[in-house]
Amino acid sequence: MADHSRDPCPVVILNDFGGAFAMGAIGGTIWHGIKGFRNSPIGERRIGAISAIKARAPVVGGNFGVWGGLFSTFDCAVKGIRRKEDPFNAIIAGFFTGGALAVRGGWKHMRGSAIGCACLLAIFEGVGIMMQRYMAWQSKPIAPMIPESSSSGAALAA
Amino acid sequence: MDFSWLLGAKKQDPRSDSSYGEIAPTVSSIIGGENIDSSRLQQLSGVAPGQLEFLDLEGEELSDLPGSRTLLPSRGWSDDLCYGTGATYLLGLGIGGAYGLSEGLRTAPADASSRLRLNYVLNSVTKRGPYLGNSAGVLALTYNVINSSLDSYRGKHDDLNSLFAGALSGAIFRSTHGIRPMMISAGLMTLVSGAWCGLKRVVISD
Repeated sequence: MADHSRDPCPVVILNDFGGAFAMGAIGGTIWHGIKGFRNSPIGERRIGAISAIKARAPVVGGNFGVWGGLFSTFDCAVKGIRRKEDPFNAIIAGFFTGGALAVRGGWKHMRGSAIGCACLLAIFEGVGIMMQRYMAWQSKPIAPMIPESSSSGAALAA
Repeated sequence: MDFSWLLGAKKQDPRSDSSYGEIAPTVSSIIGGENIDSSRLQQLSGVAPGQLEFLDLEGEELSDLPGSRTLLPSRGWSDDLCYGTGATYLLGLGIGGAYGLSEGLRTAPADASSRLRLNYVLNSVTKRGPYLGNSAGVLALTYNVINSSLDSYRGKHDDLNSLFAGALSGAIFRSTHGIRPMMISAGLMTLVSGAWCGLKRVVISD
């Protein structure tokens, strides 16, 4: 089930870092642009939107990027240790990512965050597998129509 | 209890599989006979062209834009964007984190306990690192978006594109601070992108 559109493991971490950062920064620009526009008084709406974007969009991008990069790093590590590719890679990597991001919040916070992140990734993977099965089921091979024998065709025509 | 569903099954040695047969074909056993049958050399040799469908890996092709060769093989604008932003972000994060670490170690109160000291240093690292990383990442993101747009508009890539994209992204980055900081930032980014072009020429020396 290897994905051939992605690069091999050590370099793909950089790719995921950048992709997640770009996603977060662009999404944060849209999100905080709208939010800053709506929360500013009339007459200062444009400048309010711009300053909200400047203050918050890079932070959203950074948060996304760190999450994606850590996840990719742990995913590669888990792949390297287990030597196989299946949904458990992502779940284990999600567990470690959640734990690593909450490392300063104390032991209980870390445990909760790790389990929550693993559950989230399990849901993602489950939905992904469901979609895959559904697609395969939709495009399943169909047996060709069997041509009718001449006698029954004649009977129908008569 | 069997945990092979979680931890992976034991690898089977393919040589122990009996379906491979006992005797491996040698050159003389293949072409030594009186009649050479092409289908024994290659099992698909009897298949007429056009009957066979090959797997098409379309996303694997490298970018064929003239002059667009970079340090890493790139498949187009999305690879440039992701790798460029990721590498610059990590670089900024690392440099900022190292600066924060040294600053935290230097300015931590001398009479603090080790626990307080650790917290102080960590706070300093997480204040400086993400700030520099985020700024560098946003700059690289803007630069790459402008650069790729220019490439696709002009149909080729050269140093002029890079310099212009650098100047424009620097100007946008400081666009709310007035004309003078904008010009300074644009000049700095032009210098940085010029240095990058020079580095690329030194490394890719063909």
